[in-house]
Amino acid sequence: MTWSARGFPYQEHEARRKVDQIGSVVMVGSGKGGVGKSFVASGLALSLAGMARRTGVLDVDIHGASLPSYLRVRPPLRTGRRGIEPKRSGGVKVMSVALFTGQNPVPMRGDAKESLITQLVALTDWGPLDYLVVDLPPSMGDELLSAFRLFGGKSRFLLVTTPSPNALSVVARLRRLIASERIPLEGVVLNMAYASERRGRSYPFGVADASSVRKMLRADVIAELPLEPAVNSESLVEVLRKSKETSTAFKALADRVVRGP
Amino acid sequence: MHEMGIAGGIVEYSLSLVDERRASRVTEIWVEVGELMQVDVEALSEALRTLLSGPKLSGAKTNVKVRSAAFSCRRCGEGWKMDEVKKQLASVPSSLLVEEPDSDEVPLHFLPYLYPAFVHCPKCGSSDVAVADGQDVQLMRVVLE
Ligand SMILES: Nc1ncnc2c1ncn2[C@@H]1O[C@H](COP(=O)(O)OP(=O)(O)OP(=O)(O)O)[C@@H](O)[C@H]1O
Ligand SMILES: [Mg+2]
Ligand SMILES: [Zn+2]
Repeated sequence: MTWSARGFPYQEHEARRKVDQIGSVVMVGSGKGGVGKSFVASGLALSLAGMARRTGVLDVDIHGASLPSYLRVRPPLRTGRRGIEPKRSGGVKVMSVALFTGQNPVPMRGDAKESLITQLVALTDWGPLDYLVVDLPPSMGDELLSAFRLFGGKSRFLLVTTPSPNALSVVARLRRLIASERIPLEGVVLNMAYASERRGRSYPFGVADASSVRKMLRADVIAELPLEPAVNSESLVEVLRKSKETSTAFKALADRVVRGP
Repeated sequence: MHEMGIAGGIVEYSLSLVDERRASRVTEIWVEVGELMQVDVEALSEALRTLLSGPKLSGAKTNVKVRSAAFSCRRCGEGWKMDEVKKQLASVPSSLLVEEPDSDEVPLHFLPYLYPAFVHCPKCGSSDVAVADGQDVQLMRVVLE
C-alpha cells in the first residue's frame, strides 16, 4: 500500500511543536498604524521578564519591523543545535525578520508571508516560554491572520490605541474581527494618553474617557501610558530604568497579563 | 542544524499514517528536502535510521533527496536556479549572514522564504521574486504494509 504524501507540511508541524512549548501568547495589535504597538509589545515583554517570567517577543511586522530598534538588537543571528537563536534584550528573547534582512526591503505577497511567519516560528529555538508577546503590523492582512491561525488557541489580544477618535474608529473594526475569530480580548491600552508637565497633565491626543472606550470597544482600558519623549532617543531598557511613570504603567500592565483582572 | 527535528516530524507523521490507514507497518519513506533548507542529507538519513525502530517502523527503507531551489519573477516570468542566486548572494554583507558555529559550510543560512529580500530577477532586475521550489521538506511517498 503506497501512500503519496506530496506536500507534507513539515514547517507547519514544527511550528506547532514550538507553540506547544509556550504557555501563553499575547498579541499586541491595533489595526491603526503608528499608535505604539511596538512600543507596548516591547515594554510589556521587558516587564514580564522583570517579573521572572520566561518571555519572548516575536515581530511579525515583515515590512516595518521596529522591535529591533526599541530593544537594540541587530544582525547577525546564529544557529545552534536546536535552531536559530533569538537575540536577547533585558532578559527577553527577541526574533524579527529584520534580524535577517537588516535594511533590505522585503518585497512579499500574501501566501509567502504566511509561509515566512510559520517558518520563522518553526526554525527559532525559543525553548520553553511562559509568554510570547507578538507585535503585529497595522491593518488586518496576512500577518494578522497568520498569527491568529498559528497562535489562536492559546492567545489573548491587547488592543493599542491613542485617545484620538481617528484611531479609535479603526480599532473598533479590528475589535469585531477579534470577536469573530474568538480571540479573547485582554483589554485596551491607551498609549500617549497624556503628557506629564510640571503643572500637571496635558492631553495632546485628546481625552478618551474609559466609559466611552468601553462602549465603543466592548473592553476595559487596562493601561494608560504617558507620552515619553525619551523613547525616540534611548533604548527601551534605559527608558524603563529612568522613567518611573512609564515603568510603573508597564509593570501594572504586565501584572494584569499575569494575574488577570 | 535541525536534521533530528525534521526526522522526528517525518517519523511521527508516518506513524500516524499507519494508524489512519489501518496498516501494520511502514516499509519505505521517500523524502525530498528543499535546497534552501540547507539540510545535510547524510545527517538526515542517519537521524531517520536512528528513529526507525519498534514494530511499526524497524526495517523501513529511507530515501532522502535534495530538491533543487527554483525562483521566478512575478514581473516578467523569468525563472532561474540556485547557481544564479549564489552569484547574487556574494554581495550580501557578512553582517547579515546567519552564523553557524557548528558547521563548516558556507554560512548562507537565511530563512528560505526570505530569499526575495536578497535576490533580484536576472533578466529585468525586479525584486518581485517568488521562491518557487526548494523551500520546505516534502514527504513524497510512504509505503505501508
Ligand atoms: N508613549 C509614547 N511616547 C512618545 N513616543 C511614542 C510613544 N509610543 C510610541 N511613540 C513613538 O511613536 C512612533 C510609533 O510608535 P510605534 O512604532 O511603537 O507604533 P506602531 O503602532 O508599532 O507603528 P506601526 O503601525 O508602524 O507598527 C515611534 O516613533 C515611537 O517612538
Ligand atoms: Mg510596529
Ligand atoms: Zn523579471
